[in-house]
Amino acid sequence: MIPFKFSIAKNQSEALGLIHQHQHAAFLAGGTNILDLMKEHVAQPTEIIDLGRLPLSTIKSTNTGISLGALAKNTETANHPLIRKDYPVLSKAILAGASAQIRNMASNGGNLMQRTRCSYFYDINMPCNKRVPGSGCAAMKGFNRMHAIFGWSDQCVAVYPSDMAIALSALNANVKVMQQNGSERSIPFTDFHVLPKDHPEKDNSLNHGELITSIELPKNNFASHSSYIKVRDRNSYAFALVSVAAGFELEGNTIKTAHIAMGGVAHKPWRALKAEAFLKDKAATFANFIKAADLEMSSAKPLSHNKFKIEMGKQTLIHAFEVALKG
Amino acid sequence: MENTNKIIGKGIDRIDGIMKITGKASYATDYPAKNMAYAVLFKSTIASGKIVQINTTDAEKSPGVIQIITHENAPKLNIKGGLRGGALLQGPEIIFHGQHIGMVVAETFEQATAAAHLVQVKYQQDKTEKIDFDELAKNPEMPKGKELADLVRGAGKSALAQAEVKIEEEYETPIEHHHPMEPHATVAVWEGENVILYNGSQIINGAQTAAAATLNLKPEQVRIVSPYIGGGFGSKGGQWANLVLTAVAAQMVKRPVKLALTRQQMFNSVGLRQRNIQKISLGATKEGVLTTLAHETISHTAVDFEYIEPCGDCSKIMYEVPNSLISYRVVPMNLILPTYTRGPGKSTGSFALECAMDELAHQLKMDPIALRIKNEPKKDPSNGKPWSSRTTVKCLEEGAKAFGWEKRKAIPGTHFSGENLIGYGVACGTYPARQRDSSANIKLTLKNGQVYATVEIAASDLGTGTNTILAQTAADGLGIPLSRITMKIGDSDLPPAAGSVGSVGASSFANAVNDACGKITDELLAKSGKQFFVRPTANDLMISEKIAAFETQSSSKAPAEAEQYSAHSFNANFAEVSINKLTGMVKVTRFLAVTGAGKILNPKTARSQIIGGNIWGIGMALTEESVVDPRYGNFATRSFADYHVPANLDVGQLDAMFINEVDLIPNKMGVKGIGEVGIVGVAAAIANAVFNATGKRIRSLPITPDKLLPS
Repeated sequence: MIPFKFSIAKNQSEALGLIHQHQHAAFLAGGTNILDLMKEHVAQPTEIIDLGRLPLSTIKSTNTGISLGALAKNTETANHPLIRKDYPVLSKAILAGASAQIRNMASNGGNLMQRTRCSYFYDINMPCNKRVPGSGCAAMKGFNRMHAIFGWSDQCVAVYPSDMAIALSALNANVKVMQQNGSERSIPFTDFHVLPKDHPEKDNSLNHGELITSIELPKNNFASHSSYIKVRDRNSYAFALVSVAAGFELEGNTIKTAHIAMGGVAHKPWRALKAEAFLKDKAATFANFIKAADLEMSSAKPLSHNKFKIEMGKQTLIHAFEVALKG
Repeated sequence: MENTNKIIGKGIDRIDGIMKITGKASYATDYPAKNMAYAVLFKSTIASGKIVQINTTDAEKSPGVIQIITHENAPKLNIKGGLRGGALLQGPEIIFHGQHIGMVVAETFEQATAAAHLVQVKYQQDKTEKIDFDELAKNPEMPKGKELADLVRGAGKSALAQAEVKIEEEYETPIEHHHPMEPHATVAVWEGENVILYNGSQIINGAQTAAAATLNLKPEQVRIVSPYIGGGFGSKGGQWANLVLTAVAAQMVKRPVKLALTRQQMFNSVGLRQRNIQKISLGATKEGVLTTLAHETISHTAVDFEYIEPCGDCSKIMYEVPNSLISYRVVPMNLILPTYTRGPGKSTGSFALECAMDELAHQLKMDPIALRIKNEPKKDPSNGKPWSSRTTVKCLEEGAKAFGWEKRKAIPGTHFSGENLIGYGVACGTYPARQRDSSANIKLTLKNGQVYATVEIAASDLGTGTNTILAQTAADGLGIPLSRITMKIGDSDLPPAAGSVGSVGASSFANAVNDACGKITDELLAKSGKQFFVRPTANDLMISEKIAAFETQSSSKAPAEAEQYSAHSFNANFAEVSINKLTGMVKVTRFLAVTGAGKILNPKTARSQIIGGNIWGIGMALTEESVVDPRYGNFATRSFADYHVPANLDVGQLDAMFINEVDLIPNKMGVKGIGEVGIVGVAAAIANAVFNATGKRIRSLPITPDKLLPS
């Protein structure tokens, strides 16, 4: 860790003012990732702006659905009665992540801002285009068992680690952001995180100095037919090898619309658009589930150590579909 | 009067439990010292080569820095002083990635850490570095150690050709780390020419002699203080560079120095369990009588020193077989030296042997328990000595009954519970029972009509309960209530003792204390000059003779006749697993370890120790693997985010049973030791249960979900 200046923002505009002054400043919310990154010398902000005093921790109903305050804790969000009732897939996804202690500290906004857990990204002695643009990618030909099978580039094969984000993607959430000038903009969740392409140092579409204020969840018709399945190397407290958030809007046994997102497979929550398109207006049968899963995974491009993710992805999709159907 | 109210054998709470949970028990870094400085190590980022230049200019200017120590200014140390793993800053040569190459001493830990990042190092890399195990294992070398020479009985492996039934398979185990809860840490305080080292040490006197020899001091100039240890599992058995480098730093800055390894530094600073490829060849008759057993192991070791776990040990003694081969080949690598790791050789070796036995049973359509009992040896097959006692069959039979083994489906993949597959597995284990030389001192005082005892012994308590079992031993031996006994252990100023290693701790320490109790009672009797029909206790004598204070010391060693027998602890492990048939995620829902380990001094602490071993065994079976990147020689799994120890959800219901066994041959108290055996056979039992559940035989640990996908 390098020495840094610590400021406490009293309100949003002060937070935006402080971060605007320093290119190397960073916001502090729950601190469950940024502090690790600082201790590891991966992040070296010279100024930390504590957001803890900002009034952004409310979870409330809105005309269009529910608004999750950016500073509301993961635990509170997962256990909120409205979330449990109307967005169980989000509750399950949050509870599948991290540990109770970490979820108690971690904020909703911070969850979206966590960085990849690629071990080469964390090891400052290794080349990593995400950490040091242009230095190379050690994972590409290295131990890439945990890495991407969709949407990677020759610059970066890292995956996005969040469970919560996978559910938010399936739920078509929107991220509300306050810009430098104090005005707000709304980013569709599926556009919030980005693929690595030529700029893997960029995880998302936020600009420096923008502040997440809330995550807006639209109403949905699949609360009773949704699931979150996570496959990992131990039964808790491990990042996903593959995870799937699935929700079916059903009419009888016909799937009107499928909402499917995958974790552990790409640099962003991977919306399973091929499977969704296939299942639209189809009967919710095991045979169709297999076809949808095969179709989605057919475009996967595995790396040297993660070919298993194709079969695992299929099985996890099918399992998630079955659980969602049963409700 | 014969004391019928013995406390030995009772599952009492730890006498230091309250101290521990209230934070009053002092571990190494808890020792305060005035004017403390903090040292942080920095490490090489290449696996092989040499340092051409170390530029410390920026680091020296960093706030709070007192001194930077590298091979260029470190004092000359004796590299053959008995520390493990080198890395003593004695030259520019680099032999593994993560080798210590220097340390920053600063006013605070944070300042030292920040400055360490400012040190710039230029290397000349040796491109012939040995870091790709898969390549190197194609051409392994003969081991140097005589104890690792090929061991052939009967016709050796060649008898396999005539066998009616054969199993020939390879089993792979990865690098594992000890990762005790308390990372290695030292506080060094010099007093003139002498140094006190507060440092978690499994062998107090071993740490003292190794530190002294390395520092070119006499043993009496070094004092090791280690009353509490937050686990070690072998990594605090031999001592590593950090112990002595703390003393060096304190000497150079002329202040007390604290050096604590970070969790990440633990991966490449204090040894590891080596990677192994074990080939097992079993030959048997159609009736399941073993005719051949070959256990051929390829292991990695360090380039500068040869240590490997003896994976063939279990195969030497577990089964009656006329023809056998035990062999070792080694692969020197530019990695930190492997070292003793819980159940060294036996935990990994039993994985191979006991899975192969399960494979043989399956091929023979025999129950795996029946196969084992059929091949039970009447005496030690490796040396012909009689067993002091052997409990394998009892462990299997009593365990099968308690576990409900009869519910196991013989045909794999046929036991369902909802979307999960259920499987049962069994595997046996063993570990030698030994007593090592130890001595103890007892001081008795009479105050207000009550006798108080202080028991002094340079024993170590890894957290397993040494303090408690020794207090129990003294209470019975002296006839004094537990509450009036003060234990003093973990200090090299105390009477020398063996270590908490190789399952010798309990037997060596308890016999030493017990003998000292006997000796002090004898001496009190002699002092009284009286004759008694019934031998009085030391407590009775102190009171009746009104002796204000009395003290004695004694030394103990294993009985001479123990050598004529083969003495071991034995166990049988039973695992039930539940596996999601789509995702391949495994959960150990039930586990039972039945152990025959002679006298159990405290069933409560013993149970904890056994289930602790079982839990690590679950990690070994399902989650733990350290991966070396063959391009750099570093660990790609470099933190607890990547190196998975079992979490609560991975651990189902654990039960430990002990066989009621009296075996006074290995030592007078009949204590055989439980520290190591708790992990032996565990991974095999789980792997066998996975086979029973799925029909998939996974011969490469850990059994992660990807290995169980439908195909």
